[in-house]
Amino acid sequence: MAKKKKDAGRKSTAAAAAERMVMGGMPQQEQDEELMQSPMRMVVGSFIRDKIAMIGLCAFIVVFLCCMILPFFFPIELNYQDVTQANVAPGFGMLKIPDGLKNNAKAISSGSTFSVGIDNDGNVYEWGTFPTEKLKNIPSSDEMGKLTMISAGLDHVVAVNEDNEIFTWGNDRMGLASLPIELKMNTSPIKQISAGYQFSLALTESGRLYNWGSAYLLNIYFPEGVQGNIAQFEDNTNIVIALTNDGEVVPLSNKASSYTNVPEEIQGNTIDIALSDESAAALTSDGRVYTWGNNVNGSMDVPEEIQGHVTDIEGGRYHYTAILDDGTVYTWGNDNFNQCDAPSFDSAVTTISAGYYGSYAIDENGHAEGWGLDGYLMGTDQLGRDLFRRLLVGGRMTMTVGFIAVIISTVIGVLVGGISGYKGGKVDNLMMRLTEIVSSIPFLPFCIILSSILGNSIDQTQKIILIMFILGLLSWPGIARLVRGSVLAEREQEFVTAAKALGVKEFGIILRHILPNIITVIIVNATLDFATCMLTESSLSFIGFGVTEPNATWGNMLNGAQNGQVIENYWWRWLFPSIAFGICTISINCVGDGLRDAIDPKSKER
Amino acid sequence: MGKGRYLIRRLVYIVFVFFIISILMFFIYKSMPGDPVTMMLGDSKNNMRPDDYLELYNRTRQQLGLDKPLVIQYLIWIGNMLTGNFGYSTQYKQQVIQVIGTPMLNTVMLNAASMIVVFAISIPLGIATAVHKNTVFDKFVQVITIVGYSLPSFIIALLFIFAFAVKIPIFPISGIRSPGFTGTGMAFVLDTLWHMALPVIVMSISGIGSITRYVRAEMIDVLRMDYIKTARAKGLKEKTVIYVHAFRNALIPIVTIATAWVVSLFGGSIVIESVFLWNGLGKMLIDSLMQRDFALVLTLQMFYVILSLAGNVIMDIAYTIVDPRVRLEN
Repeated sequence: MAKKKKDAGRKSTAAAAAERMVMGGMPQQEQDEELMQSPMRMVVGSFIRDKIAMIGLCAFIVVFLCCMILPFFFPIELNYQDVTQANVAPGFGMLKIPDGLKNNAKAISSGSTFSVGIDNDGNVYEWGTFPTEKLKNIPSSDEMGKLTMISAGLDHVVAVNEDNEIFTWGNDRMGLASLPIELKMNTSPIKQISAGYQFSLALTESGRLYNWGSAYLLNIYFPEGVQGNIAQFEDNTNIVIALTNDGEVVPLSNKASSYTNVPEEIQGNTIDIALSDESAAALTSDGRVYTWGNNVNGSMDVPEEIQGHVTDIEGGRYHYTAILDDGTVYTWGNDNFNQCDAPSFDSAVTTISAGYYGSYAIDENGHAEGWGLDGYLMGTDQLGRDLFRRLLVGGRMTMTVGFIAVIISTVIGVLVGGISGYKGGKVDNLMMRLTEIVSSIPFLPFCIILSSILGNSIDQTQKIILIMFILGLLSWPGIARLVRGSVLAEREQEFVTAAKALGVKEFGIILRHILPNIITVIIVNATLDFATCMLTESSLSFIGFGVTEPNATWGNMLNGAQNGQVIENYWWRWLFPSIAFGICTISINCVGDGLRDAIDPKSKER
Repeated sequence: MGKGRYLIRRLVYIVFVFFIISILMFFIYKSMPGDPVTMMLGDSKNNMRPDDYLELYNRTRQQLGLDKPLVIQYLIWIGNMLTGNFGYSTQYKQQVIQVIGTPMLNTVMLNAASMIVVFAISIPLGIATAVHKNTVFDKFVQVITIVGYSLPSFIIALLFIFAFAVKIPIFPISGIRSPGFTGTGMAFVLDTLWHMALPVIVMSISGIGSITRYVRAEMIDVLRMDYIKTARAKGLKEKTVIYVHAFRNALIPIVTIATAWVVSLFGGSIVIESVFLWNGLGKMLIDSLMQRDFALVLTLQMFYVILSLAGNVIMDIAYTIVDPRVRLEN
């Protein structure tokens, strides 16, 4: 050890070397100089040698940087929610088309978080993250024979075989498994099928549309002369729109909404229609796309360069995918899951499909590619929000609140402790009584009641600030006592007397002479308090009295995980925030302990 | 100054602190949203003529003493609080004093059980790690305890529910009694204990973490003292040295931290009770805040304040018992 120090000493600064030259380099003196270390350097030195503390520091820095930098790469819209993506298990591969289908695809359909496809031999494939286990119970190929059409919905699948039989599997509640009798009796070939949001639809060649499943969300109304004359239909969670054999676009609803506001100029001239969740699009015979509805996430902003070149169009949840006349595909609309990154194909694309957040295209050789939402790293919560992104911003929020609360409590603590320690006498007595009163306030109950009573008439940002102040204003007594003790000890030191004798002002003595000597104590306590404040903040948020939704913190992300069903079935919703929080507080405590050991020479013997 | 006088001085002081905090609570009470008179009169506004209502309103206001100056209002309020007249719970449609009995018993039961578990484990463990410091056993315990006190209790709760109520269902997920349970005597006690197991384990873990580390640190400090060397040199048994000479001296700071911990345990049990749906004061506090049942909220708050001050008194008494040198003039 001593040798090491000596080596370090040799490599000291040029100034020291120059000094040595001037002083004549007495060996004895050199030895003394090397052993003298400023308290700060000693602390740093012994801290670096503490393995656990260093591991803790590294872990904390990694978590900290992740939470501060990564949100810029994974931006989040706090008010975003999507019920179709609720409680999706973590994992990728929603777009990973099975090998058997990859180069032999006939039709692919994208559901909420899974996809289904059939190859040219009529075999069915299913991949992605399944919202319900029932989706794995695919009827056997003996039973189904050769499939010709397939469609995936929220959590069920509808398929048709070459004998015109309809099969459905997956979610079987709300009448999804019971086909209407008229459809079973029907002899006309099936032209189009669709599995939607808790309902299914089928269209026959005779132009009749049948629906079954939940009638609660969707009410289909056929205007005069439409049933029996339908050429094509499209559905979303709110409405079904039909295209008649005359090229007319007819919303199948008797309630006026933004979808029913069909532009007049396309009537009779439409060859294809598509629906996203908030808007509708129609393709006219001259290759132009017309849109109407609500322009959410830019789904209605049809790029000008493709107008007049479109041959086929399909709609996802907030995006549209189209085939152009040169055989390429083009996507526009919401790009939050890279829905707009359409790949390029070697040969002309013949079939496209879009659903929810994914799109698939099949070229003339049967080669299929998918793009869009591939999966969630850490799954989603009950409102369909990406947990990974919320974890990042939640960490940022938790740390910010903890940090500012610590700053507040440290400033108050140092002021109160410093003044009372330095002044002594009556001031000391008064301040310490005050400290005692604050410290005998029951902490968590008071935080809860204050945040509940003061927080009910203010907005979210103010509430976050309120939480910081409540935490800061109630947690300073500990640090005040410590600072007072240290100041009392330092006050009697000779250098303070010397400074007084020199006529240094009182404030200067406290700031320049005493504070530097107790700064280590303050830092250690602030570090440990930081962990405590984060803990309190998340406890408050966890029981619903801290930072509130839609703002994320690690505490309120766990708020929804308070019942056994969530704990059992949706483990990712509580496990990932818990792990992140655990790593963070454990590493901060390791750093704090390491620092405390480093400044306390006694502790080396422990 | 004798011990008795010291204690009396502290008690007087604690009473003074109580009144300071009660003033704070009174202001919280005054700043609560909603007019208490309107709330008390309820629907009668719609059923009465405006003039009659105004008269009733003013009469009620006078009855409640809301027309008097703030100081008088405070004195009335604190008088009511001290005589057990906590007001009327709008949530339970009963006097507050009648509804807080069972939850208080449940909370005290839960916390007392956790306290016993924590002290029974952490003090021997702390002493053992101090005596065998820097061994593998010590290092292992150090790592476990730092994890224990760093993790918030609700995360430990989630982990334990997942492990011991969901994956290996040996304990109930939540609640205080099995649904439809009618047994008495031994069966009743066993059922309660069975429901209590998980919350107690979870509450104990963080306590064990911090108290063990604290006991260890204090014991190591004390074991280095000269009088320990003297005791060993006298040829006393190692057990006597550790448990009589060393531990008694280490106990003084341990008492401080342990009392503070017990007070914070009651506060922390709010979270645990809400996770395990344990029908205690903490869950009641959250429920009544949600329901805006402020009479109940304030009573519960008073309970926590008194508990915290009682903790201070106990700390003082414990000091005088444990440390014969206690003077603490300044």
